[in-house]
Amino acid sequence: MPLGNFASLIHFLPELAVTATILLLVVVHVAGKNRQSAAPALLSLAGVGAALLLAALQPASAGRSLFEGMVALDGFAIFFKALTALATIVVIFMSMDSGELAGRSQAEYYIFLLSVLLGMFLLTASTDIVMLYLSLELVSIPSYLLAGYLKGRESSTEAAMKYVVYGATASGVMIYGFSLLYGLTGTTQIGEIGRALATGDAPLPVLLAAVMVTVGFGFKIAAVPFHMWSPDVYEGAPTPITAFLSVGPKAAGFAVLVRFFYTVFASPDVAAGVWKISSRVDWTLLFGVLSAVTMSVGNLVAVNQTNVKRLLAYSSIAHAGYMLMGFVLLTPAGLQAILFYLVVYLFMNLGAFYVVILVANGTRSENISDYSGLGSRAPFAAVSLAIFLFALTGIPPFSGFIGKVYLFAEVINRGVYWLAVVAALNSVVSLYYYARIVKVMFLEDPKDSTELPVPLFPRSVLCFLAIPTLLLGVYWEPVARVAANSVKLLAF
Amino acid sequence: MLTDFATVLVFMVLGAVTVALLLLVSRLVQPRDPTPVKLSTYECGEVPFGSSWVQFNIRFYVVALIFIIFDVEVALLYPWAVIFQRLGMVAFVEAFVFIVILLAGLAYLWKEGDLDWVRTMQDAPARKEGK
Repeated sequence: MPLGNFASLIHFLPELAVTATILLLVVVHVAGKNRQSAAPALLSLAGVGAALLLAALQPASAGRSLFEGMVALDGFAIFFKALTALATIVVIFMSMDSGELAGRSQAEYYIFLLSVLLGMFLLTASTDIVMLYLSLELVSIPSYLLAGYLKGRESSTEAAMKYVVYGATASGVMIYGFSLLYGLTGTTQIGEIGRALATGDAPLPVLLAAVMVTVGFGFKIAAVPFHMWSPDVYEGAPTPITAFLSVGPKAAGFAVLVRFFYTVFASPDVAAGVWKISSRVDWTLLFGVLSAVTMSVGNLVAVNQTNVKRLLAYSSIAHAGYMLMGFVLLTPAGLQAILFYLVVYLFMNLGAFYVVILVANGTRSENISDYSGLGSRAPFAAVSLAIFLFALTGIPPFSGFIGKVYLFAEVINRGVYWLAVVAALNSVVSLYYYARIVKVMFLEDPKDSTELPVPLFPRSVLCFLAIPTLLLGVYWEPVARVAANSVKLLAF
Repeated sequence: MLTDFATVLVFMVLGAVTVALLLLVSRLVQPRDPTPVKLSTYECGEVPFGSSWVQFNIRFYVVALIFIIFDVEVALLYPWAVIFQRLGMVAFVEAFVFIVILLAGLAYLWKEGDLDWVRTMQDAPARKEGK
């Protein structure tokens, strides 16, 4: 029984905390004399920290439907709220340290950042297609603004423009798919749509709707063939935003993909403890192929990139491909693997981008060739980057390995051997381009041998990201348990 | 369900055929006597001049956005006023929160100088910071 509007408010505290912080930031921007002060950053940190705490305190035991069935409060939503809030906190630290953003209006930047966070909170919890569409736009529109935040720099403006055009097209196609679903079933609630489709027999319109909705979600997680925007946007956007887009909205995209497809186009098979496809549309095969293509394209194109941000963009496309493997299996263990991988991916990917920011602050360059001799110029940053890159490759004893083990194990358990083979081959390819950066850093002579100082603050943030990356490679059980518990409540 | 969509398909085909048919008939029976004035673009009775590919001031866009926000506010407050007596305090608090949020936006616009149409560079110090 869905709760009414007022009864829901008490279960909506993380979102309210973020909203209040956004409004306070507007006031700070209007009242503030110095627009380059650190006050907005600290205020956002406090607000997002409070939201993270409130989300973690929410009772995960019972799933609830809030606001007359608009959003759900279950373990799955709470997990993603905590994950995206954590990513936002790290990105705020990165932004405070980024040379690109220095001298630009601060409060507006954090207003957009927190708006994306609010959108992600709602997106991961939406159980109504209208709410889902609204929150997807709330994620997208401030993202466009953030991508173009370096006003006056050509690449940033280009990034924002491409992002808007692609985003508008993708969400247009997606809402067409939604309208088909509404036309078929006469309801906007995804649970009811799922029940109606399970009894119906109209494979063609359902397949059409599934493909159209995939365009919108595929755009958010940057899966091939909807990935065209991501290298240009990732290269042109301010680096903290690139890091943010590659983790936060991608995680939220996965959350909504799972919730939507597992509710609308599949139904829980309680006896076997898995989900089964309803409405005779075999979309898992479609996503299996999408997964294989995504990781192959991402890895193969990454091989001959010369710009670090572009390389990491293609690598994040490849990682979306790996995670899609868990999505097609329709098992709780597959979902658990995705959730676990997202946690691991958060630390290693944000860490890699953070080093890119630190190096760019010193050298004003993002080319791989300028990383030569970083091992002697800035040993701390270079060793951290090496840790993150090896973790991204999935080499033991780093956390990326454990993430991949969970994914591969479940793929093999379910007998999807061809996908496991493709993924294994892809991991080999990825070793080449990740290790190339490490080689340039440690084995090549520096072009310019002056030392790159890394102050104490970035050092401690790097430690905060590197320690989980190492620790989750040897002691991952608590996180895996949280991920497993978050999956159980999904069927709601 | 599929048969429902067949109705839609029949409707679409009939629509397309009707339009094509009407255009064809009109083409066959119409008298044709073109003059330069008749062939020129219709611009509400004015004599057309120039190309339509001109640059507009970007501030029209900002003004349009401001308008939409306050338009929505008014559209919401009308039904609110009608049922205000019945809902009492709850309605008051809800509308209050809603208006405070919009007021924050209005303060932002004011500070940024988006409410003044005529202005010089000195009037808008925020713009010169190169945000």
